[in-house]
Amino acid sequence: MSDALVEAHELSKTFGSAAPALDRVSFRLDGTGAIGYLGPNGAGKTTTLKLLVGLLRPTSGSVRIQGFDPVADRKRALWEVGALIETPEPYPTLTVYDALALVGRSRGLPVEDVDAEIDRCHTELELPPLADRVGGLSKGQRQRVALAATLMGDPKILLLDEPTSGLDPAERVVVRRLLGRLKRDHLVLMSSHQMVEVADLCDELMILARGRLLLRDRTERIAERVPHRQVDVEFAAAVAEAALAPLQALGATAAQRTERRWRLAFDGSENRRRELLIACQAIAPVLEFSNSLLPVEEAYLELVARDA
Amino acid sequence: MVAAAHATVGPVAVRRTGVSDAGQLRTVTSSQLTHYFRTYRFLGLLAFVAFVSALTLAFQLDAGVTATRVAQLNRSSEYLSNFLDYAGLWIIIAAAFFGGDALSVDFSTGAGYYMLVLPIPRWILLVGRYLAATLVTIAVVAVYYAFGLAGAVYFFGGGSIPWAALAASLGLAVVFTFAALGVAFCLSALFRSPATGVLVTILTLYVGLTTLQGVLELANVEPWMSLTYAGGAMAAVLDTDFLHYQSIPLGEDQFYTLWSASVLEGLGIMLAYAAVFVPLSAVLYHRKESTG
Repeated sequence: MSDALVEAHELSKTFGSAAPALDRVSFRLDGTGAIGYLGPNGAGKTTTLKLLVGLLRPTSGSVRIQGFDPVADRKRALWEVGALIETPEPYPTLTVYDALALVGRSRGLPVEDVDAEIDRCHTELELPPLADRVGGLSKGQRQRVALAATLMGDPKILLLDEPTSGLDPAERVVVRRLLGRLKRDHLVLMSSHQMVEVADLCDELMILARGRLLLRDRTERIAERVPHRQVDVEFAAAVAEAALAPLQALGATAAQRTERRWRLAFDGSENRRRELLIACQAIAPVLEFSNSLLPVEEAYLELVARDA
Repeated sequence: MVAAAHATVGPVAVRRTGVSDAGQLRTVTSSQLTHYFRTYRFLGLLAFVAFVSALTLAFQLDAGVTATRVAQLNRSSEYLSNFLDYAGLWIIIAAAFFGGDALSVDFSTGAGYYMLVLPIPRWILLVGRYLAATLVTIAVVAVYYAFGLAGAVYFFGGGSIPWAALAASLGLAVVFTFAALGVAFCLSALFRSPATGVLVTILTLYVGLTTLQGVLELANVEPWMSLTYAGGAMAAVLDTDFLHYQSIPLGEDQFYTLWSASVLEGLGIMLAYAAVFVPLSAVLYHRKESTG
């Protein structure tokens, strides 16, 4: 079997006498596409990413990037890796240009290509002026510089720990579009709490809880694993609770969100869902009838709750 | 060298070639130097050394040329030896400033998440930073030497300067810098807080070793294990009346011995410190994890 781009085998990490932060996690990632790495806070997502780039040493098990150990052979293991973990910050005294040129040169970009590559990142990520010192940038600007550094030299493996954290909504859209393009010819492993982002970008998901890998599957198959048990309905006019009695007769409970908007909880079956829609339309004209959570989010919450 | 990679993203075709360890070392050193040159601590220390050196010269000028010449036995080498007696102190302060947090910065700030995820072996990061710290420390010390030289020229004339001994002293200052930075880097790899690394470096190298030296001298033992003792060689190489030790009477049948490191002895101690502490800091740095 040839070397995978990224491989974790029975990977465990324990800090002191605490319970394992990561407990015998194994996976093999190859090819291109985006893989979402999900889990509650403290599940071990960042620990995994740190282990993958050699920032931490495994307590047991092993990591290989393209067949190389990231601790023992950093240069070859990380040659095709761009990693954005925690909050990377270049020295505050460096300019944006200095900080990116450092990365480009370290990754083997010829001197004459460094500027072109910085220009590419500058345009794609709408970076602050290149002569600005990093220390004077806002949090979002620093995050974009760090993301640009991750992409410098176009490494084919991208390990991203909450890549849109600290960005404003407009910046998030820019980054999401960029990642959507990059996943076509890169392998992107990203942790995120942004379910919209995950559902939108990721072809596959790995769900982690309490240091253990609970599930790995295609995103759409995970979304289909659990029935949707909550819908939001918006009526064209204000509706009083008493008017919702027909819905209760169908076994649904209703919680008011706004004057015209209600959240209905039911057993999740397709039939009951259809009956509820018909009943709602009989109460008042319906402007919207939709799942209250993203399918992926609902599946994720159920899986994690079941594990807990 | 690693295999070349070719890919295209966006408008630019990215052509990456293998990069040698020497190439990465140049990149890291130059980036670190750029950082140091823009820090307030470098500019501040440079200004402070210049200020104190200028003040020393001003006092000597105030005393008058004749008085200064007599005090220095009418020899420029004695003058330089006395003036440069504090070179070790400046080097220790500079080494603490530039080396005391050189490695801990990777584990206490976001700098580590920027640098340690690059395909650069940690030993290259360490050596690059070490070289950059050496250069800026020497830049600080060079200012001190320049004032000493200016004073010697003024009081004794340009023709009196012992150039060979002065160059030897500067060479010893470079080796002392290697040794002091070795200790500073080692402490920096031990501690997580940059401030602790800086403080402990000064406490260890200056307060700790000087105290140890004093205690050993009272016990009439040569303090050969002290780096600050070895640092005396920087001035000793200029001293034409060098004495390896002097017995100072304390009272009836009691005395203590004041030791001065000879040039070769000092050089040996400095090299030993560098040979022990630089590899040790590399081992500690290599093993350190980003747990924060």
